[in-house]
Amino acid sequence: MSASPLALILEGRKRPGRELLAEWVRTRRLSNSWAAIALVVGFAAMLGVQQVIEPGTMRLLSAVFMFVALAQAWNLIGGFTGYASFGQVAFFGLGAYITAVLMNNSHLTFWLAMPAAIAGGVLFAVLIGLPLLRLRGHYFAIATLGAAEGSREVINNMTPVTGGGLGITIPTFGDQAPTPYFGKPGFYLAFLILAALSVAVSALLARSRFGYAMVAVHEDEAAAGAVGINTTSVKVIAFAVSGAIVACAGSIYAFQQIEFYPSDVFDPSFTVLMVIMVVIGGSGSILGPLVGAVGLELLSQFLRINLGSYNQLIFGAIIVVVVVFFPQGVVNFFRDAWRLRRISLLDNIRRYRL
Amino acid sequence: MSQLLQAAAYGVVQGGLLGLVAVGFSLVWGVMNVINLSHGALAVTGAYLAWLLNLHFGLDPFLALPVVAIALFLFGYALQRGLINLVINAPIFLTLLLTFGLGLVILNSLQLLFNADDRTIETSYASQSLALGTVNVPYGRLAACGLALAITVGLAAVMTRTRLGHSISATGMDRGAARLMGIRARHVYAITFGISAALAGVAGTMIATVGSFNPTTTPGQLTLDAFVISVLGGLGNMYGALVGGLVLGIAESVGGLVLTGTWVNAIAMAVLILTLIVRPSGLIGKAQYSGRVEV
Repeated sequence: MSASPLALILEGRKRPGRELLAEWVRTRRLSNSWAAIALVVGFAAMLGVQQVIEPGTMRLLSAVFMFVALAQAWNLIGGFTGYASFGQVAFFGLGAYITAVLMNNSHLTFWLAMPAAIAGGVLFAVLIGLPLLRLRGHYFAIATLGAAEGSREVINNMTPVTGGGLGITIPTFGDQAPTPYFGKPGFYLAFLILAALSVAVSALLARSRFGYAMVAVHEDEAAAGAVGINTTSVKVIAFAVSGAIVACAGSIYAFQQIEFYPSDVFDPSFTVLMVIMVVIGGSGSILGPLVGAVGLELLSQFLRINLGSYNQLIFGAIIVVVVVFFPQGVVNFFRDAWRLRRISLLDNIRRYRL
Repeated sequence: MSQLLQAAAYGVVQGGLLGLVAVGFSLVWGVMNVINLSHGALAVTGAYLAWLLNLHFGLDPFLALPVVAIALFLFGYALQRGLINLVINAPIFLTLLLTFGLGLVILNSLQLLFNADDRTIETSYASQSLALGTVNVPYGRLAACGLALAITVGLAAVMTRTRLGHSISATGMDRGAARLMGIRARHVYAITFGISAALAGVAGTMIATVGSFNPTTTPGQLTLDAFVISVLGGLGNMYGALVGGLVLGIAESVGGLVLTGTWVNAIAMAVLILTLIVRPSGLIGKAQYSGRVEV
């Protein structure tokens, strides 16, 4: 195997993208305030858009916002920290079921159930993160996949509490409803706020001391430990913040769906979509997951509506093509192209081929 | 007691079959460090091929095996040479995504060609079984398990005794050094993937003979099983997949007898995670593979 990236930096032979990104951020202090302004403008623009669109379009855009939050969450652990979790859907399902069980069985309002779901996500992240974050690479990926499959089976078999395979229903009307149903405009707003918050949290974390610690753990964990970073707590905190965002998304999603089954909210394709969106947009940045989530969700909705039974086939083919031609993600590709004044897809293929 | 024996016997034959699904998967993982998420889709491709041969030419699935194996070997070789080699040095989630996309393309093509119905290859001996006291073992499953055993032994022999096997192992251990010794890594990788695809096709054919398959749920289930078994058994040892398969097969069938509902699946996942934490090299795998750090 080749020498570690950190060693390569010290030798000055090669500077990996993330090191360049960190330098790019350091030399542009103004960019912090520009990013904040962009976020506020984007948020206001989407509020404006809501006034002129049909309820059906609102529902579609709600899904886009949800995936923006999910992609940002995956990026924290998979992109910045470099631990490719294939089990983030566990937090989604857990958040959904905590919300539904509290609202259905205990008649708590959504405003109590959602914080409980977030707390549950954090607790679960710490519980499984402590043992599993010692594993690396594929082994971490499988262990988290196993944790997600396992938690689905546990929910599936706790029939007295969760309804098991028969599903669960949140009461939404009449005296039975702890919180009145939001309707399409309400969920549009809820997912929009969640997306904006997750982008803001990721951006703040990425530009803090903690953000550099995450990148350092990604680049070379041993070296990061040697310079005084508590790698275990960095990994667990990144995992927990990611889990909290995903659990919150699951909580809102559960209320939106009203009725769902374990196989819906623990569907591994949620995890796969998070990974694809981050990788295609560009991992380890804030803009990348945002672009990936918006682009891919709109594309998949478009394919579903226009191509019927061919949509999954085309979707798979697009994944293959993008992975081969844009392995570093679309955002990173164009940033590099702009900086080097050179656009070459061949360079991309040369990078990772045998 | 006889129920338990029956469950154990079923677990053994099922485990052998599962081991056959996993052996190609763990070979590719061990040698190239690629987790092939399209493995289940390749197995189902093999199953459809054998099903078509049976439907149109009345060919027995066991006689169709060489045809299936050769066809899938060529397909796998071309896939690796033309596509997967392009991203072989990329971070792990890129190869995962590539094979996931590939799997989607394959299984959706199959679904468009053959629709999503459950299929099975009908044989005259499907309903006959060998009676050992109170225990019944269907002939088809027995033959499939025996075949799995023979293929694993054969593969282990190829890996340890032939020049090709040595070059595959060498490339898996240190690609740079292997290339300096004159091994063509591109070709060796493609052959490895071809072998893996051929084994997947054979396993798929056997599954189609003793049970049923469809293009929607079977591929994902097989890939997940292969995953769990490879971890349980460990990488770097050809018998790892067989041992892992037997453990999983017996645990699932005996567990299904003792536990209610689908708790057995939850237990299987708990065992997987515990194995990873306590012994990441698997039951009989080589530690070298679990210590490998991927960037």
